[in-house]
Amino acid sequence: MTTPTWGEPTGPLTSAEFRAAAQAIMANIEQVIEGKSATVRLALAVMLAEGHLLIEDVPGVGKTKLAKALARSIDCSVRRIQFTPDLLPSDVTGVSVYNQETRDFEFKPGAVFANLVVGDEINRASPKTQSALLECMEERQVTVDGTTYELQAPFMVVATQNPIEMEGTYPLPEAQRDRFTARIAMGYPDPRAELAMLSGHGDHDPLNDLHAVADAALVRRLIETARAVHAADAVQQYAIALVTATREAPEIRLGASPRSTLQLIRTAKAVAALEGRDYVLPDDLQSLAVPVLAHRLIPTADAQLNRRTTDTIVSEIVHRLPIPHANRSPYDTRDGRAPYESRGR
Amino acid sequence: MTGRRRLGLVAATATLLASAPLATIFDSWTWLLQVLLTVVMIAGAAVLARTLRFPGWAQGLSMALALLVTLTWIFPSGHELLVPTPATLAHFAELIQQAGEDTRSYAVPVPDRDGLLFVAVLGLGVVAIVVDLLTAVFRRPALAGLPMLAIYSIPVAVYLDSVPVTPFIVGACGYLWLLVADNVDRVRRFGRRFTGDGRDVDVWEPSPLAAAGRRLGVAGVLVAVLLPLALPTVTGGLLSQLTQSGNGVGGGLGTGNGGRIDLFAALSGKLTDSTTVNLLKVTTTEKEPFYLRFAVADQLTATGIGSQPPSGNALNRGSLPDPRRESSTNQTTFQQYHAEIEVSDALRQTMAPTYSYPVGIKDLSGTWAYDPNQQVLYSNRSTTSKQRYSVDYLRAQYTPAALRTAPALGPDDPLRRAYTSVPVNTFVNDLVAKLTKGKTNDYDKARAIYESFSKKYGYTYSLQTQPAGNLAEIEAFLKNKVGFCQQYAVAMTWMVRAAGIPARVAFGFTRGTAEDGDTFVITNRNAHAWTEVYLQGFGWVPFDATPSAGVSGSARSNWAPDVDQTTSPSTPTSAAPVPDSSASLAPGQNQRPDRANDGGGTATAGTFSSDEENWTGLLIGGTIATLIALLLVPALRRVLLRRRRNAATIGPPPAVVDPGEPGPAGTVTGIEVTSEAAQARADAHAAWDELIDTMIDFQIAVDPTETPRLTAQRLIKETLLSAEPAAAAELLGTAEERARYARQPLQGAELTSALRRLRAGMSHSASARVRLRATLFPPSILLEWRLALAEAGTRTMEAASRARESLARFNLRRLLTRTR
Repeated sequence: MTTPTWGEPTGPLTSAEFRAAAQAIMANIEQVIEGKSATVRLALAVMLAEGHLLIEDVPGVGKTKLAKALARSIDCSVRRIQFTPDLLPSDVTGVSVYNQETRDFEFKPGAVFANLVVGDEINRASPKTQSALLECMEERQVTVDGTTYELQAPFMVVATQNPIEMEGTYPLPEAQRDRFTARIAMGYPDPRAELAMLSGHGDHDPLNDLHAVADAALVRRLIETARAVHAADAVQQYAIALVTATREAPEIRLGASPRSTLQLIRTAKAVAALEGRDYVLPDDLQSLAVPVLAHRLIPTADAQLNRRTTDTIVSEIVHRLPIPHANRSPYDTRDGRAPYESRGR
Repeated sequence: MTGRRRLGLVAATATLLASAPLATIFDSWTWLLQVLLTVVMIAGAAVLARTLRFPGWAQGLSMALALLVTLTWIFPSGHELLVPTPATLAHFAELIQQAGEDTRSYAVPVPDRDGLLFVAVLGLGVVAIVVDLLTAVFRRPALAGLPMLAIYSIPVAVYLDSVPVTPFIVGACGYLWLLVADNVDRVRRFGRRFTGDGRDVDVWEPSPLAAAGRRLGVAGVLVAVLLPLALPTVTGGLLSQLTQSGNGVGGGLGTGNGGRIDLFAALSGKLTDSTTVNLLKVTTTEKEPFYLRFAVADQLTATGIGSQPPSGNALNRGSLPDPRRESSTNQTTFQQYHAEIEVSDALRQTMAPTYSYPVGIKDLSGTWAYDPNQQVLYSNRSTTSKQRYSVDYLRAQYTPAALRTAPALGPDDPLRRAYTSVPVNTFVNDLVAKLTKGKTNDYDKARAIYESFSKKYGYTYSLQTQPAGNLAEIEAFLKNKVGFCQQYAVAMTWMVRAAGIPARVAFGFTRGTAEDGDTFVITNRNAHAWTEVYLQGFGWVPFDATPSAGVSGSARSNWAPDVDQTTSPSTPTSAAPVPDSSASLAPGQNQRPDRANDGGGTATAGTFSSDEENWTGLLIGGTIATLIALLLVPALRRVLLRRRRNAATIGPPPAVVDPGEPGPAGTVTGIEVTSEAAQARADAHAAWDELIDTMIDFQIAVDPTETPRLTAQRLIKETLLSAEPAAAAELLGTAEERARYARQPLQGAELTSALRRLRAGMSHSASARVRLRATLFPPSILLEWRLALAEAGTRTMEAASRARESLARFNLRRLLTRTR
């Protein structure tokens, strides 16, 4: 239950193999979610970055469908938790029960003991239950009654939530939010995609037709491949500059954590690998900055009063920071052409 | 102390400072004590009134009462006891009347006359009240500058020629202090001062902007002081202005409408009529009078000639010196004559023309004084306009034989030291040494120098030269030998001084045109300058070095005969081809006869100026060429830069590939660092830099937050590049991207040709103006220079602020305790 023991081919994939596998998964998901290839790609990238995904949007845009499609495309253990206000932490992590026959306590694993955990409407549960995910998401282990149980690899939590302004929700605590690698919004489909959805989903649910195109072993190899993508010094400096800028931005009360820097680079590597590159570009970081960073930040009261969302603040930072040059720090003002003026306080 | 009371005290002090100009009016300092007392009394009354919280009108009233009481104490009529009575007021009226008389009869500096002092104290008291009211009651301290300026206008009105500047500075300082005090008070009334982040602000400063304001103020004052210094017209006194602008006094003939005299009048501040040419009418009992003179220039410096302000006794105080008594030899013959001088309103100046050695001057209205040293009749207030006066004067006659007996002055003689100071000039010294070789006495030396200004030596008269007024011009005159009276006079003075003999330049008028019998009409064209040489025992002996042919009304003496007419001493009638008086009376026509007058001179001047033109043409051509070369520097630098980058991108890959060079220890990324890869990286960077510069050149915005990929895409979209250049742009973008971020750079790409294609494509889609600008004045180079300049400026500012901070932290006591 703890580590994969079956014999499987290991080692990174070649570029072509990687592309083929990734394309297969994405194409599979897109059978269900029409016209959202960027979102699907991001979801896959988060998976390859060994991260967790938070899908936030209004009801009915296909959040759960995306999560389930991702789960079904991969032939691995999938558990689904419907977060309700009366859900208890032990329902998530598992509980020790007394076995009459063996006259001993026996551990009954909870819902998190799977490769893919789909947490539906996570903000409907109380913060107490939400917190049950804290340990398993970061440390990939569960501790119950003093015993620590390791989780399977890959392990990914895909949670959906309604925007926090909706009724009957408990907003996620920032520690919990910080554990999600990326938050993505589904957005409404464009009219053509919606039409296709009507004609395709009219009589039956395509989710039922979905077959797995990958297994856990393949995903592990994909993850290994994505890890090997090269992130140059300049790119890493750029990531640090982005994160630092959120910490120094006057409109933000709580900036991005060091964990977010790590996850930013990891996700960027996965995105680069999905695009067939073996090196990360600042473009990857720019495209990922909002999904990876924005949900962790807490704006100041002033910024909230001004209706400034963290999304806009982060994208403004992206548009403000100069791109690092090779062998040049972004803080190096001696670059004659683009003197970067630090705007921190 | 509350703000208003403090402001009132500042206003009183400012008034006292503004009273400084009175120091130039009064002879002694009595006025200062009285003014001090008055202002203190008024300020005291104001403070008292404010302490008792009087309304504004009552404050003014109390100050007026204080003034009245103080005046009563200082100028008592004798009938009252500390409190003014009607008799006191009558006494005040008397004093005012007396002051009116005094102003007519006294020249500055005036002695302590009760009337004048009363008026001064009264005026200052009123100014003090007004300034106080404007500052403390109406809170309009800027308006207080007007009464202060009124005080300064007193010396301006009295001194026609030059106004002392020091009292103005003192008064201005007081005014500025008043303004600053008011503003600080104004800001303080808001409560605590708000200074932004609180850095770089001294405690006493009302706002962070104060430092900037102070800097601006200092810069403004510096500009105001330095700019006039740079202008040539106000560098010196009256005469240096005269001689440095235009043709000088003697050269008025060439400029038509009497320009010199007009200028003189303008400098006196009283220009009234610019068309009149008749200046003087002289009736004298002397048959052949010498020149009328009115001014002397006795300072010869590299920047020109100047004069000390004349000083002497007023005419109504004692008699004029008699040269017969002061002359140490009896070899001079003096003959007394009487002249009636009538001045038209066109000659409005503060120096009255007179013949030398006047012994009696009558009917000259106003306050006039005589400087026996300069032999100048001057006034500080009155002008010669429409004056009609008579002069009894002594005409000195010398013989060359007598003058030769004049002994040379000792080298330590104060006169010699004062009147022989000249700038050292080897050319002039050599010339003088050559001319005076073998001459044993002062007269012979001066005579030799005098005679060198002749046709024989190649000198010609011409008004066509442009005088610059400085001695470099005189040196040029000595070399090219074309000039007019001013240059002749100054040149001779210089040379005589160089020979160690005191000399100076005299200004005046030549004899003029004789009208019926003994009356001479003198116009602006008779204005003239000549040299006076001091010979011991004889005094100042005139020498006119200007060729007599060029000067109408020229006169010569037997000790300085006309060198160009060696046959006989010149006679007044034959010496000058004087145009008839009708012509001289007609304004505007006087230029033509003058031209005819110095026909010979203009011919030489023509050849001279053609030389000048050639040289000028060369200069202009050279300047234009230099300018063009300078303008082309950015374009040239751009071309060189591009060539260097192209060379970098084309350059043959180094043959030696070093495969053994490992990556940094412990890394598993497996970056192959080969010199080939490094070369490819450098090439891509060079190509990309060139692409960015090209974008700047073609005025396409460069965004430092854009990645190479985005930049290339935007470039293609914005400039609507066709397929080939677009592919080139994408190639360059990819190459740079991989060079920056990938393990392996793009190798073997034809970056140079891609650059060329891209540049061609961009040039094709750009407008003609942009294309021209990109070629001739590449904005990338200009931007680079501007940024470099700005950075250097920033560094300088940083260094300066660091130095200032360390200075501010410098504390002697701390230093001492540390050493202990």
